[in-house]
Amino acid sequence: MSTSRAVKKRLRSVDFYPSENRSAKEFSEVESFLEEFFPSVKFSVQPAVVTKVPKRELDALSEVLASSRMKDPSSAEQTFEPMFGEIDYERRAIRGMSKVGGIVYDGRMLQDVLLRLLGARASVEVASIVFTDRLVTTYSRDDLRHHLRTVVCGFPSIISIPGVVEAPAKPREYYLMKQRMELEGAGELMLEQLKSSFEGRFVDYDDPEIFEVLKGLALQAVMYHLTLDPFCDNRGCRLFNAHWQEDLIGSQISGPKLCNKHAKQLASLGRNPVVSW
Amino acid sequence: MQMPIFEKSSESSVTRAIISQFAKDMDGFAETDVIVIGGGPSGLMAARDLALKKVRVLVVERNNYLGGGFWIGGFLMNTITVRAPAQKILDELGVKYKMYEKGLYITPGPLACSKLIASACEAGVSILNMASFDDVVLREKNRVAGAVVNWTPVSALPRQITCVDPVALESKVVIDATGHDAMVVRKLEERGLIKTPGFGAMWIEKSEDAVVEHSGFCHPGLIVTGMAVSTTYGLPRMGPTFGSMLLSGRKGAKVAYEHLKGR
Repeated sequence: MSTSRAVKKRLRSVDFYPSENRSAKEFSEVESFLEEFFPSVKFSVQPAVVTKVPKRELDALSEVLASSRMKDPSSAEQTFEPMFGEIDYERRAIRGMSKVGGIVYDGRMLQDVLLRLLGARASVEVASIVFTDRLVTTYSRDDLRHHLRTVVCGFPSIISIPGVVEAPAKPREYYLMKQRMELEGAGELMLEQLKSSFEGRFVDYDDPEIFEVLKGLALQAVMYHLTLDPFCDNRGCRLFNAHWQEDLIGSQISGPKLCNKHAKQLASLGRNPVVSW
Repeated sequence: MQMPIFEKSSESSVTRAIISQFAKDMDGFAETDVIVIGGGPSGLMAARDLALKKVRVLVVERNNYLGGGFWIGGFLMNTITVRAPAQKILDELGVKYKMYEKGLYITPGPLACSKLIASACEAGVSILNMASFDDVVLREKNRVAGAVVNWTPVSALPRQITCVDPVALESKVVIDATGHDAMVVRKLEERGLIKTPGFGAMWIEKSEDAVVEHSGFCHPGLIVTGMAVSTTYGLPRMGPTFGSMLLSGRKGAKVAYEHLKGR
């Protein structure tokens, strides 16, 4: 069996695109983190993708984004006609008049939109990583439903910042207690108290450790660009694809490191960052 | 001899006073700038902000009382919570509150609710309570241009004994502030004019911003505010976060006002 690969090009640069609600400056620590692995690759933070849209394309883009919303978790293909208000919201969000967040998008559809916007800027030699404040899903053939994701690897790769909080599941007891409290009509105050009783067991919004997680996710995205194989099965490795908050914290926050196999592979890729598929 | 406390007045005068004022009010309600369906926190807030800008607003409330769920917090306890920056609205309403922790404020529900009602009424909002939304008035290109309403007791009794036709009230804009029911939006859906996605099945904890950001026109002539926004756009359900209801109402009022100004 031949193991030869069709594409072999050197990775020249990695472009980061900051999320809609954050400044470019906030992503510099992710940039520095990756620079250590790939000293010969140029890293740069670009202006956010979705905000740089020519006026003539605004309506069409708003409609496409509104159509990319994930409305039916059990349906692999989202084929809904967007509502008047959804298109209007996207238009306002693109123009920076509405805050992005709380809406779930089909990650693959969003990827298509982003690829179109990046145009010639995306290539084999340039890895594009788009951070977003949107929630993204991909459809799983295992249980035939959409799941929220932290990272959707591809061209470009999408890293969802709220996904870090919402995608990996919190401890099982947390959901059971929350469900019970909600059925009993518990208010915001009691839910906050519930959260504090699980402190340290999941990453929450406005948690400064989110950026530590983003570093590992960005590394996974670069690994995907180079090898199409971004994940590791080892729960202690930064390339572990965590489905539980406990594993996310274990692999990205509590003394994060790479497993021996990936430490060696990344050392080699760092010396010679060749895209080989 | 002890003087009577109250001035003399006949029963017929009392009856005439009620009827004549109500008839005058109804005459004004027949054609107004904005009709708000639902007198909960988001509806009252929207109505108040519009009335302060001299917009003619009518709130249609199916219950005898206004305020919706704003009287009481979670778990049947009447402490309500608001997150920053919604405490600024409490300041505007003259509601006293305490900081529970950074960014989270608490106040008694009855105090906040009664102040909001008073503030809306003082701003000049007209109220038609004990009246239920029945249908929409549609104009060219299916633009919503008013609401059809009927007395709430009529809908509570069997149709055979209450064959009472509703009345139609015209307006430039209608605001659906009917909570999770999203009654006006549902009526458009029944007519095949809009398709709502239903509630998002994903378990997402933070959607307050999305509720506020989506408060606005969902169909020509129809603005949606409060929890009706969640129903309309399939946003994740959330607990009773009153801050987002108040901010959503304010956003709806802003959108309505800009629309009216541009007409």
